[in-house]
Amino acid sequence: MTRYVMAVDLNRCQGCRACVEACKIENNTPSAVFWMHVFRLEEGEYPDTKMSFLPRPCQHCNNAPCVKVCPVGARYKREDGLVLTDFDRCIGCRYCEVACPYGVNFFNWRNPDEAWDEYQVPFDDPDLMPVTGGVIPSYKNPDHDRLHGPEQRLTSGSAHFKGVMEKCTFCVHRVEQGLLPACVDTCPVGALKFGDIEDEGSPISTFLRNKESFQLLEELGTDPSVVYVGGTPPTSHAREIERPLTGV
Amino acid sequence: MATTQDMVSDRLPQGVGRWSRGWLLFMALAAIGVAIGVIGWAIEHDQGMAATGMRDLGTMGGATWGVYISMVVYFVGVSFAGITVAALIRLFNLEHLKGVARMAELLTVVALLLGALAIVVDLGQPLRGLVNLFRYARPQSPFFGTFSLVVSGYLFSSLVYLYLTSRPDAARLAESPSRLQPLYRLWAAGYEPTVDQRARDRKATFWLALAILPLLIVAHSSLGFVFGLQVGRPGWFGTLQAPAFVVLAGVSGIGHLIVLAALVRRVLRQEHRIGIEAFTWLGRFLMLLLFVYLYFVVVEIFTSIYQPTTTEQRISDALLTGRYAWIFWGSVAALVLPAFGLAWMAVTRKWRIGWMVIMGLIVNLGAIGKRYLVVVPSETHGQLLPYPIGTYAPSLVEYAVLIGLFSLGALLIGGFMKLFPIVEMEETP
Repeated sequence: MTRYVMAVDLNRCQGCRACVEACKIENNTPSAVFWMHVFRLEEGEYPDTKMSFLPRPCQHCNNAPCVKVCPVGARYKREDGLVLTDFDRCIGCRYCEVACPYGVNFFNWRNPDEAWDEYQVPFDDPDLMPVTGGVIPSYKNPDHDRLHGPEQRLTSGSAHFKGVMEKCTFCVHRVEQGLLPACVDTCPVGALKFGDIEDEGSPISTFLRNKESFQLLEELGTDPSVVYVGGTPPTSHAREIERPLTGV
Repeated sequence: MATTQDMVSDRLPQGVGRWSRGWLLFMALAAIGVAIGVIGWAIEHDQGMAATGMRDLGTMGGATWGVYISMVVYFVGVSFAGITVAALIRLFNLEHLKGVARMAELLTVVALLLGALAIVVDLGQPLRGLVNLFRYARPQSPFFGTFSLVVSGYLFSSLVYLYLTSRPDAARLAESPSRLQPLYRLWAAGYEPTVDQRARDRKATFWLALAILPLLIVAHSSLGFVFGLQVGRPGWFGTLQAPAFVVLAGVSGIGHLIVLAALVRRVLRQEHRIGIEAFTWLGRFLMLLLFVYLYFVVVEIFTSIYQPTTTEQRISDALLTGRYAWIFWGSVAALVLPAFGLAWMAVTRKWRIGWMVIMGLIVNLGAIGKRYLVVVPSETHGQLLPYPIGTYAPSLVEYAVLIGLFSLGALLIGGFMKLFPIVEMEETP
């Protein structure tokens, strides 16, 4: 059996948000949508302040509240630990979003194509062609259009439909090819780790062995698949010092 | 001479089949309201739900459930009164309430339809929803109670109840020629005004009433469970949600019924059928429900301020003294004042229908306010991770859809009044 787990080494994270960028590019998420988000937190009053960073992907909980409440079974838990959304089945009731204590769900409030046109560079545009010389072709990853897993459902990123819920997939389309999720692959300081925890010899098992770790909001009993090492959970005094883009 | 006599006897009771100027004006206004709602929904459908004021929780700092969900809860709540009162009349033989039984049943059916529509306008993929909610129904989801149980089970049994109880009247109306005779013939098809049939109908409606009452408790509780079971959303998690939902449902429903009964009594000159005793009974029932609900409110406030967790505290501060304070205290006032007003009338035994109508309207405003406060503050202020506090304000599109929903309700009730006697006809000895 395989069970995927992500580990976040908070001693290493420097809050550069390269993972956020990688996620956006890999999954083509629209404006103001952050499947991966890194909190930049501050505590205390100047000059006695403490800063910390906290990457927050979907926690892929083993006892996921979002899976429980979905009225149509579009949000489901796979045997390998991934919590995924069937974009063909979701009806857009957004119950998963209110049930999730981590705030990782994002709804397609607009037609994603329209939202894209406003913030993506239209490389196909004839006006832009002379500038790029056509060397940057508009690219769409065909993996996103494939059905994934033994259950054969449309679950990977970029399948954005108006009125449908979406969230981090642990890059299911990459993981199934034996690749790492985009955020993990990109992290310049190796703060993010990913792998099969059931496999004793896997790098993640070795990394987590004999280490103190915590999960976010452990007390809720959601049992997340994301494990944090080398830090402390955010206290209630922590405040986010900058807000990401919020306009859809 | 004979012709006049015929005309008089042919006249359908309670203004059925005849259009008055006031009714036409009322229906025209309601139709305009519905048109506004349709336009609002069309805009929402075209632009996506970005046209509403709702946004994602977390980094986007919004509320993903807004007035639409509040209205689902509210409308399903209104449906409480109808079938409860109708069933209580059947079960306990409350003769003096017979006059309001049918409008109560109608109110239930209309309110449930509006609740269902409010769900549909809230869905990002409404057409998919209509199929998938049944095709892939999951009883494990508290929404199963809302979508499947309420909308199909509860609505269906209420429709059957309305149909069964109206057949004697339909049969009587089908006897005399009128423009609507074919409709009544169809309505009363298979009905024979015999003692045997009457006994059978009485038995059927009795057992149906007995079956609907628990279904009703389950349905309203399951709406409370939609919120009360969510441990990850402070302010929602709690045992009190389900019973409080049932009781507030009764408050808004009985409030509506009082207003509708007073309107029908006045407009259709039904003073002899809907006597002051009916209002007395409804007023006492409403008073009782209000006091029970206020007790719940007090318990809830105490629990949330005595030793709250940090997040619970943030929400209760926003409710009691912060951004939502005016809605909170306004709603509480809208429930407290009528409660004491009704208590005063009960003590002095002077029931004023005019005042009761005003109270019926006010408690509904209070109920809408309380529903809104259940849904929204826990989303904007209830984040457990250090996200900033969110904001939510309904957009014009949402207001337009709300106007449309209320107008559709008025249109349906108004339309029914011209098709069928809304007050049960007196039994000819």
